[in-house]
Order: sequence, then structure tokens, then C-alpha cells
Amino acid sequence: MKIKIQKGHNIRISGVPTGAVERADKFREFGIVPADYLGIKPKLVVKAGDKVELGSALFFDKKNPQVNYPSPAGGTIKEIIYGERRIIKKIVIATDDDEAIARLDTIVVENSNREGIIEYILKANLWPLIRQRPFNTTARPDDTPKAIFISGIDTAPLSIDPTMALMGREREFRSGMQVLTKLSGGAVHLTVPIGSSAVVFNNLNGITIHKISGPHPAGNIGIQIHHIDPINPGDIIWTVNVQHVATLGSLFNTGQFDPTVLIAVGGPAVKNPNFLQTRIGAPLSDLVQDNLNTTANRVISGDVLTGRAVEGEDYLGFYHSTISVLSIDHRRPFLGWAKIGNSAKVYTLTNAYLKTGKRNFSFSTKLNGACRAVVPINAWEDVLPMDIMPNALFRSILAQDVEEMEKLGILECDPEDFALSTFACPSKIELSSVIRQGLELMEKEM
Amino acid sequence: MQFLRRFSERMKPAFEEDGRLKLLYPVYEMLDTLLFNTDKETDMAPYIRDSVDLKRIMTIVIFALLPAFFFGLFNIGYQQALAFGLERSLLTNFWFGLKVMLPIIIVSYATGAVWEVLFAIVRKHEVDEGFLVTGLLIPMIVPPTIPLWQVAVATSFGMVIGKLVFGGTGMNIFNPALTTRAFLFFAYPGKISGDSVWALGPDGYSGATPLAVPAAVTNGNAVELLNGVTQFDYSWSNMFYGLIPGSISETSALAILIGAVFLILTKVGSWRVIVGGLLGLVGTALLTNILAGQSSNTMLSLPPHYHLVMGGFLFGITFMATDPVTAAHTNAGRWIYGIMIGVLTVVIRSINPAYPEGTMLAILLMNAFAPLIDYFVVQANIKKRVARYA
Repeated sequence: MKIKIQKGHNIRISGVPTGAVERADKFREFGIVPADYLGIKPKLVVKAGDKVELGSALFFDKKNPQVNYPSPAGGTIKEIIYGERRIIKKIVIATDDDEAIARLDTIVVENSNREGIIEYILKANLWPLIRQRPFNTTARPDDTPKAIFISGIDTAPLSIDPTMALMGREREFRSGMQVLTKLSGGAVHLTVPIGSSAVVFNNLNGITIHKISGPHPAGNIGIQIHHIDPINPGDIIWTVNVQHVATLGSLFNTGQFDPTVLIAVGGPAVKNPNFLQTRIGAPLSDLVQDNLNTTANRVISGDVLTGRAVEGEDYLGFYHSTISVLSIDHRRPFLGWAKIGNSAKVYTLTNAYLKTGKRNFSFSTKLNGACRAVVPINAWEDVLPMDIMPNALFRSILAQDVEEMEKLGILECDPEDFALSTFACPSKIELSSVIRQGLELMEKEM
Repeated sequence: MQFLRRFSERMKPAFEEDGRLKLLYPVYEMLDTLLFNTDKETDMAPYIRDSVDLKRIMTIVIFALLPAFFFGLFNIGYQQALAFGLERSLLTNFWFGLKVMLPIIIVSYATGAVWEVLFAIVRKHEVDEGFLVTGLLIPMIVPPTIPLWQVAVATSFGMVIGKLVFGGTGMNIFNPALTTRAFLFFAYPGKISGDSVWALGPDGYSGATPLAVPAAVTNGNAVELLNGVTQFDYSWSNMFYGLIPGSISETSALAILIGAVFLILTKVGSWRVIVGGLLGLVGTALLTNILAGQSSNTMLSLPPHYHLVMGGFLFGITFMATDPVTAAHTNAGRWIYGIMIGVLTVVIRSINPAYPEGTMLAILLMNAFAPLIDYFVVQANIKKRVARYA
């Protein structure tokens, strides 16, 4: 199937990564931020000072006790950092020189049944690689999804091209896809860009390939599901990050957790935006060290639209493949609202300024306005390629009307699909965050 | 501007939580952010945001109003000169118009600001920008002959009842400027009904407005009647350029169209509402033209292009109906909303004997119906989704 996404926008943010991939995977510390796994209640199985292996369990989810979450490194638990109400904020692991790795005997995928494969992934503590829609939480091993989706196209700002990210891991990717065909209750959908001739996506057995074109958010899995096989009440769809398919494949090939991930480091505050081959849970400050322009900046694990801003010593998110850095700008232009426009200072999806640049723009963390009530000038709808009425949905969430939310299609939505709408909103309404609230409310009710 | 910045920073503590003037914080915040863009930062994803905010959106509407505004200034002087039989230069006409208009603007902004700030202080929220536009719209849609006290009373009504009691910009049901105008219309019908012209002239100076001319005669031909008026030049081209008496900025179709194009190009005004309104008006007028032979009502014979340039329709559909808050909020809804305004305008103009002009009532009525239209559009979306899995 060919899908052309019309609505949307590729944000022209400066600091686009270029060049060859550098290796940066030797660090003294790695960390896990449990908040990256949405909706879980972590219960630790280790304590500070314990020895852990790469891939051994750090904690499990109280709501879903069969699912363990893996350690990104082998060594000693250095510190467990708690937040308010004893929420586990970070788990820090000091690596040993000779890293211990958890190993399983390999199994042959062809000869295994679905249950056997699920059991194997659970035993390897790598089940969190698989997430589900609705809600974008870790999948439940007891469910049988109606389909599994993998996006082979990434349109987010400053992201890494999946074909590049998979270079050298083609064999693992193939094995991973083969595993997924065993797991799905229906089809396994892989989306690739129209015109893509990447070898890695060729000759995959039992996979339905879709060609997608269009601006961001065309690469978002939620948008693709919406256009290919929309989620109805009661449906479960599983999704896996494209690089995690290779991680999964490598588990079945070698019996161990390969935490390798290729990331893009970019953004206006980065001196030399580049690509790094690193590991899940790598320390962010070390990854961007000596590569920043300004002192006042904000490092984000993930892309600028959906990522997580760092707090203190922080680590690359489990599902992230971008590090974005924005500078913090406290200047306050005089009578800015009355100016005709200046391509160096203004970036907007409306035409409210005469001169807006076509070149890449140096975004800062500025909100560029103040929060106001909704003034619907179609800013949300114009960049949302879904048959969803965002305004009506927004109201039903604020009213906590669960029934109405479901009717309006909240189960098909994810905050990342509304990130552009939030970006464009002239009233500076945190629409993404409201969608998240709505989903959490839904999840509680279900 | 550094000294202003420093001054503002120095004043800030007085208005904050423990300051002596903390009650007036909304006023400080309003002036501070009016002078300097805010330096607020994003604190959750997405971490970058569009440069446009509500201040800019409102500024765009003001820019769009300027052609009609300046033409209005000139026309006040021009009509006054005409009434007295004077020869005056363009610039003197402007100057005369400015002298009439400025007090109205000052009264409108001052009255509105008082209410806006009062509500902001009592309700402890920031002063919102909607009033920047409303305060300018009100002087533009009143006659130049209006007493200033009426401006003050009507603005108070429009601001408080039309907007602030609902919670301010974004929450209101009716367009506040149009509510102001409706208040004038119903409170002082002797002056504002639209039967006789508004121009500054000698005592007892009067005449029929273009819309009142065909309305007053039965079994006539509207265009011939208009061309037969000797007191004013009611030819189509003259009405298009706007050199006729009327509310200050409503007369020039040309100036308003420039504003309309600007609003559409900047994506601030909804083209669906404007185009829908034009289609509704033209379609209904064509229909009444067909029926004109069957009736003694002369208004039915008024062709669509005359409907367009007469009265306040173009101004209303461009600057009042497109108010994003009080219009329909869905794209399909915007089409219906716009078309219905066009239809109702012609219906009220042609068939209602009491009021020669129908734009204001048509927009207010559709403001009231906009949520209902949206309800049906949303229900259609829901039905489509349910049909997928039911």
C-alpha cells in the first residue's frame, strides 16, 4: 500500500547531524530512567552495591510481574536515586572493566512456537523492547496483537535515518523480523519511504510493506497505524523501534542483550552535530561533552518534539535514538509582536510574519508567548494528518468524559502525534500533555 | 530601550507576591509583555514552539483593519464636506475625520481597558489580547454622529456581557464588538436602525441609506431606484469604493477586500467562512432575483453584486464572522456557518420589513448556532468511526 501524508511539517531546525558514525560506547557509568517506560510500577530486584550483568533484571512491573527490565551494563549498582514519594528516578550502574554479560542458550526461531518465543524473550528480560498501542506502554505477554507495526521511516526533527541506523545489523534485523512474524496474531507491517531502495528492507518473508511519503509526522507509528489498520476499542497493536528489531534478532542469534544503538546528536547548541554508535543508557553529559556552543543549554534525550529534558546526571532513554540540545535564551525583544518579521528571529507555520526564513532555524527553549484560552485558527488541525477532531477531543479530556473521549478516537492517539499541533498553537496550550492525561484516564477506566 | 527594560525589572518586585501593588500584577504583566516579548520557557515536550502568539494574531487583525480604518477617516471628512457643499483636499478630509474618530477610539479603548483590567484583577488572570481588536472594531462600526457616552455605555455592555462574564477571549459565545453594536441598535433604535444616513451635516441633514431606498418602494426596480437617487451617488462603482455615508469603516468594499485578502493569506482569518458567506449571499440574492417578478417587494430585485457592496455585509463577514472563537470550530462547520450568514443577511434585508440591514443579526444568530453546527460535525466524525468497528 502507498500512503501519501499531506498535512504536517518538517521543522527546519539547525544543527542537522552529518558525517560518519563515531563510536562512543565506553563509559564508566550507565543508567536507566524508569519513567521512560510509561505506566509501570517498578519493583526493584537489586539494591545498591549488588553485582549485575548486562541484560540481567533490575526491576519488574508490579502490574505485570512477568516482565523484567534489563540492566544496560554489567557491573555494580552504584546508586538508586529516588524522587518524591519514593518514585525511582534513576538506577546508576558502575561498569566493570570486564563486563559480565547474561547469556542464554540460543533457540531456533523456525522450530519454536509463539509461547516458546515469548518465554525466551521474557527470560532474557528484553520484553520491554515490545510496546503496545493504545497507550504506548510495554506490551502484555498474554495479549495477542491484531498486528505488529515497525516504522522504517523517521521524520522527527534531527532524527537518524533508519536505513543508516541498521547498517551492519542487517542480519540481526532480518532475524528480528522473523521473530515478530511468529508473535503477531495478524500481519506484521513495515513502513518504508517511497522510493527507498534500502537492501535491508528487501526480501523479507511474511512482512507487509507499505510505502509512505510526506512531512512529519508521517514517520510516527501512530499516524501509520491510523492510515493502515486503525485501532478500534478492544484492539491491541504491538510496535517495536526499528533498531530494537535488530536487538531482538541479535538475542535470538547470540543469546545475549546487544545494547548497541545508533543515535543522532544535533540541535542549535551543538558544535559538530554528528552520529554516534553508543549504548542504551549511556550518560548524556559524556555523549555531548565538549560538543556544545553555549553554556546555557538544555539537553534532551529524544527529539525536540517528544523527548525528555535532562535533570542532573542523566542517561540516554531506552527508546530514544536522538540527543537534541537547545540553547536557553533570555533576551526579550522590544515590541516583538509589532515587527514585520526577521528570518533569523522568527519561525512560524502561519504567515503572520512577512519574512520567515527558508534556512534552518536556531530554536531556543522559548515558549514565544503566554498561555491563553483556545483561539481556534486551525493551527492544530493543519498539521495533524488524522481523521480526529482535536478541539472536541481536547474538551472531552478536560471534562474527563471518558465515553466521549473513546468515541472521538483517543485510543488511536498518542502525545507524539499531537506534538506538532502543540508546537503550532498560538495560545501555547500543552496539547500533547493533555492527550497523555486523557490516555492515562482511559487506561485507568479500562 | 535598555532603560525601559531596567525600569520594568526594578518595578517588578512591587507587583509580585509580597509587593505592595500585588493587586495590580495583571496591569504590570500586561504592560511588561506589551513592551518586551516574554522570556517564558517550555517546561515539557515539545521543547520548541512557533513564534506566533495571541498578541501577534491580534496584531495581524489590526493590520488587516487598517485600510478600512484609514478610508473611514477620509470618508468622514469627505461626507461632511459633501453635506455642507465644501471643497476640501484629501489631507483636510483626513484631518477632519481624525478629529471625529480619535475621541471615539479613546473612549472605546479606555472603557474596555477598565473592564478588562477589573476582571483580570478580580479573577486573578492575565489581561488577554482580544481587546486590542475589539477596541478598534467598535469605533469602526459606529456612525460618526454617535455621542461619546453611547460609545462608553455600549462598549461596557459588549465587553462585560459579550465576553468577560464568560471568562474572556476564547470563552465567549458572541463577538463582543458585534454585541456592542447590537446594544446600540436596540437601545437607541431612533438613531441606529439604518433607515437614514449617518453623516456629519447641518441640522436636520438626512437621507435614505442605500438599503432603505429599494425597501421603501413597492413594485420597483432596485437598481433604477438607486441610480435615481440625487442626494448621494449610489451607483455600484461609488458604493464599491465606499464614497457613501454609513458607519465609519463599513462603506468601502475595496478597502475591506484588501483586509480580507491579508487575513486569508496570513491564515489568521478563515477563508472558509469568508468564501462561504459570499457564496451564501450571492446564491440567495440570485434566488430572490428569480422570485422578484412574483412579488411587489422591490428588495427582491436587488442583484447580488449590489448586495455585496451595500450595508455592512463585507465588513461583517471579513472581520466579525471570522472571529475564530465565536465562529464554528470545525472546517465543515465553518462552511455551513459562513453560508448561513450570507443567506440570512439577504433574507433579513429582503423579507424583514423592520430592518433594512441584516448582517449584524445574521452573524449574531449564527454565533448562537455555531456550537450546534459543530456538534453535528463532531457527531458525523464519531458515526464514521463507530461504523468502522460496529
